[in-house]
Amino acid sequence: MYGKGLKPLSIATVVAFAVGFSLVFFYAPLDADQGFIQKIFYLHVPLASTALIGFVVGGIFAILHLRTDNNKWDAYSYVAIHISVIFGVGVLITGAIWAKASWGHWWVWDEPTLVSFLIVFLLYCTYYPFRYAIEDRDRQARYASVFAVTAGAFVPLNFLAVRMAQQLVHPRVFATSEGGLPSSMLLTFLVCFVAVALLWVTLVKFELTAKSASGQVNRLRRALDAPGPTGSSRIAPEVS
Amino acid sequence: MLALLPLGAPALPLDEAGKYVAGAYIVFVLLLVIYVGIMATKLQRIEKELRDVANIAEERSLEDKAAPGRGPEGSSISDSLTPQGSRGGGA
Repeated sequence: MYGKGLKPLSIATVVAFAVGFSLVFFYAPLDADQGFIQKIFYLHVPLASTALIGFVVGGIFAILHLRTDNNKWDAYSYVAIHISVIFGVGVLITGAIWAKASWGHWWVWDEPTLVSFLIVFLLYCTYYPFRYAIEDRDRQARYASVFAVTAGAFVPLNFLAVRMAQQLVHPRVFATSEGGLPSSMLLTFLVCFVAVALLWVTLVKFELTAKSASGQVNRLRRALDAPGPTGSSRIAPEVS
Repeated sequence: MLALLPLGAPALPLDEAGKYVAGAYIVFVLLLVIYVGIMATKLQRIEKELRDVANIAEERSLEDKAAPGRGPEGSSISDSLTPQGSRGGGA
């Protein structure tokens, strides 16, 4: 029962976004340095944090799959990575818009934060063809889990490496030498972060529910000895 | 009520910066809409498959009724369509 709790979760997500965006535009003060452009960060940074945490969570699910050999965890891992990749697209686009407004360029190659996120994103983009290349479902799930664990371990290492990098052109949201965010901005940021995190959980649950429904239909089909559907996915794990 | 909201807001600099901020938030909403659209397509496909399976089940059921002495194989298929038989053990 993947759909259990989806309705209250969806409502909580909508409420969190309504509150978060209201705070962004009607409560949080304009940044003294960046002005109105800084409002992008209330969306961009939570999306980036959630995507990176989602990749790590996908790795944790993959560990559970390897330990228990239960395909349910493979589906969790696949969906966590899938939603995080979608969030990653949002991070790259909103980041590029901010960079254009602030630096005058859509992309800067000598900025470690940007390039490292792009590397992580591209790494996870290879997850799909990697799964697609393996026909056997069990092998596919096992190899994908090994990939998810390895890539999931790379994410925090990559994050730490960037934090330790000398060049700090990319703004830091928390804990800089000049101090952190003022409380009004911090509150707004935290509400936006909760909203984006709730959205991630809602979408993961939504995707798992759809996969479960599809799996149940396939079960029924098998029970009836009916011919399978045409054009079904070969890479998405099946949940029953 | 919504029309009154901007009155309570600080003066939003909707010039050059506002264009980019609006762009970023619109991209986010667009991504969500595209995702929901893709999921709607998936759900339509699942619904179609479910309808196909239901049709097959009904045909089998009618066949079973038409030929009652068909043996255990036929009846096991219809049994699998009872609420107990078709119930998923999803985790």
